[in-house]
Amino acid sequence: MLGVALRILRRRPLAEEAVHDAFVQIWERAASFDPQRGAARSWIYAIVRHRALNILRGEVRTDLTADFDDLALASPDESPETVVAMLSEAGALRRCLDRLEPDKRRLIVLAYIHGLSHGELAARLAIPLGTIKSWIRRTLISLRECLA
Amino acid sequence: MSPHPVGEGDLDVTAAEFVLGLLPQADHAAAERLLQEDRAFAQAVAGWRARFTELDDTAPVLPPGSGLWSRIARNPSLAAQAVGDRRAARPQPSALSIKPAWRGRSLRAMAMAAALLLAAALGYFAQDRASKPVLIAVLLAEGSAQPAAVVSAYRDGRIELAPLQPIEVPPDRALQVWTLWDRAVGPKSVGLLDQARSTRLTTEGIPATGPKQLFEITLEPRNGSPTGRPTGPILMKGLAETAL
Repeated sequence: MLGVALRILRRRPLAEEAVHDAFVQIWERAASFDPQRGAARSWIYAIVRHRALNILRGEVRTDLTADFDDLALASPDESPETVVAMLSEAGALRRCLDRLEPDKRRLIVLAYIHGLSHGELAARLAIPLGTIKSWIRRTLISLRECLA
Repeated sequence: MSPHPVGEGDLDVTAAEFVLGLLPQADHAAAERLLQEDRAFAQAVAGWRARFTELDDTAPVLPPGSGLWSRIARNPSLAAQAVGDRRAARPQPSALSIKPAWRGRSLRAMAMAAALLLAAALGYFAQDRASKPVLIAVLLAEGSAQPAAVVSAYRDGRIELAPLQPIEVPPDRALQVWTLWDRAVGPKSVGLLDQARSTRLTTEGIPATGPKQLFEITLEPRNGSPTGRPTGPILMKGLAETAL
């Protein structure tokens, strides 16, 4: 949980904040959780990510971008390509991400694991904002077809 | 969600963008409302979360700092929940006999959620199989739904106890940990503690932990129960469940 939050928030106190809040939410909603409807794991991760993204959005983003480059340098293991390589080769997500063009794969993985916005993705990949938006929508559609 | 034309396919892509966290502020808020109100949208969101969740498993496993645990344990809304349960039960004791099934289910749901939470928070979902417990028992404090400790049984046979909140132990008393796997054999002591702390439990003479095996902690004389059976009040108890 903490690792997932830290990827998005990049600072430990904020990530612990997100995990703490998620804990409370999970506790409050425990009775409404129905194991028949979906895996508990993705339910829990979704609550953590959701809370982390809300904290990220509430923060002054410039405050975070300064740290971000340092972090990118400090942990070269966390490039989108190495994250994809960590996925099980037998899994559908790995197979379908591997089929995408490299830039499109990077967009999806960066958005998911670091919570990057359209603007940040555009800056990082040096691709116009409008292109990013339409690429993401088209990539999601082809991912959906592949994962169906 | 005015910027996106709403059609079958578009709604699903919007759900995916919501899961990625890419919707602009106003659309994000609209999507949150839709998630509560629209079953089809909620299903689309759940579908995308399930598709992407493998990426969460690749996150580094980080042990939570001790400060985080104590904050969670002290959290007023978690404590209020337990107090609320007691308050509801006290003025109308008959409610318990009228709706025992409901009460049992709600406690079970909470205990299950607590077990899942602990497993998730401690990073048990990571791929490190050696450190993954096979069974987890969440011990609930007697008389409330508050998780008080967690017992983890590992693949290699090791069993560990981790208390989640401090317990007041009088100077001449001790906490004794018991397990019951077979009523014919009766409860066996697996640990004696002067205070609530994380510890490994004795496994000598105890078979491998199985599902539904009971763990409980009682208050006993300082040197342990004189009879070899629990004699003092039960402080907390719980059943082992298979870890995810």
